[in-house]
Amino acid sequence: MTVSRIAAAIAAMLTALLLQASLIGPLTFPVPVSLPVLLVIVTAVYAGPGTGLGLGFSTGLLADLGSDNPAGVQALTYLAAGLAAGLLGSLALRRRSQTRSVAALAGMLGAATCLSTGLMLSLLDSHGATPLTTIRMLIPVGFTEAILALGLAPLVRAGLRAQGVRAPKPAPSVLARVPDVLG
Amino acid sequence: MRKLSRRQRLSAAVLSVLALLFVSLDFTGGSFAGARGGVTGALGSLYRGTDAVLGPARRFLQGVPDVSRNRAKLAELEQQNRQLRQQLAAAQSDRSTASALARLQLQSDSQRWQVEPARVIATGPGAGFQWTLTLDAGSADRVQAGQTVTDGVGLIGRVLSVQPHTCVVLLVADPGSGVGVRDQRSHQLLLASGRGEGGVTASPIDDGTDVRVGDTLVTGPAGQTTYAAGLAVGTVSSVSTGADGSITAHVKPATSSTAADVVGIVLLPVRDAIRPALTPSAPGAAG
Repeated sequence: MTVSRIAAAIAAMLTALLLQASLIGPLTFPVPVSLPVLLVIVTAVYAGPGTGLGLGFSTGLLADLGSDNPAGVQALTYLAAGLAAGLLGSLALRRRSQTRSVAALAGMLGAATCLSTGLMLSLLDSHGATPLTTIRMLIPVGFTEAILALGLAPLVRAGLRAQGVRAPKPAPSVLARVPDVLG
Repeated sequence: MRKLSRRQRLSAAVLSVLALLFVSLDFTGGSFAGARGGVTGALGSLYRGTDAVLGPARRFLQGVPDVSRNRAKLAELEQQNRQLRQQLAAAQSDRSTASALARLQLQSDSQRWQVEPARVIATGPGAGFQWTLTLDAGSADRVQAGQTVTDGVGLIGRVLSVQPHTCVVLLVADPGSGVGVRDQRSHQLLLASGRGEGGVTASPIDDGTDVRVGDTLVTGPAGQTTYAAGLAVGTVSSVSTGADGSITAHVKPATSSTAADVVGIVLLPVRDAIRPALTPSAPGAAG
């Protein structure tokens, strides 16, 4: 992973967290829509499960430490979301209407992340979260996150294709060994 | 569907274990206070900066769903505002009326006059004169033609004609108005005449009268005047001498007759005791 990719990831994480606190959270209250988790999911869809789990863990941990939640809860659920999005992303990318498929997947995984976070917090008896309130919010969360993903997906795709952020090509020595591996 | 490489599987397992470790550490009271404080502080300062930029947009968007409700509330508040303004205007009018009535009462007490309060209901030309007022008091209120009208400070005019419930007052400033006045300094008599918008001028009855700027003129018994005596007419603002030697004093009126709202009509002086006659002093008492 290059330095520019790390810098881009940190910038994206901070931007998402700040937008969540100053705009998305207040505007969508009481529906717990999460822009950071959406960023993790959409990035993982395009960049793969490796990027998804790393970005998910770090974004979740930062969100945990910036809130009153027990540290690690969102780190774990975001990691799972990134991993799942990375694994399932190829299914969405195969379709003709790529952005809409990505948005639908992001909505479902966003709702699943909301459910898992809510259940973990209710298990830990944190913030008065209950399974019932979490389940009641699933459809609004999924729907809103899918709509947000329609705008976010092209941005993330363009960002990942940008010079410097693009995944580095394998070294010639590695490429030279490919026929051997296949053979 | 993509597949995880061995390295990615290992990373996922390590990070999951790490996350669970953090959860259990934090849940069992492990100290994350330092890390939390650092992140909260850094994010907090960034948040404040972001909120300064995005706050107005957020507040605008948050207000959009309440637009119709706010419109109804706005209409209600505007209605309340109108009512309050009316109440305020009424209160100011009441204060002004109370103040005018207090002045009239004071004058009534000091001059021993019976004064009928009345409100100005019309202004403008009337009864052949240019400068008149119509008051809401008439013969039913014992008002008679010729009675003096005052606002409690100075002279306004005199009653010209009377109807049962209204009367027309000729203002001092009317060109057809003439008032006998006395200079309070020299006690000389003058005849004050209205000059319309030019105010009032006064000419001494006796050509040798000394009139000076600043002299106060009050109503006095000159000619056929019917005005109650002692009411301030105005102050001499300038004195000019004509080619024929006649003296004309320009008078600044004591009160603005066109600004009057509540005025008093002097009905008659009260005589509650017989005025005692002067008798010769006892021998040896003089000096």
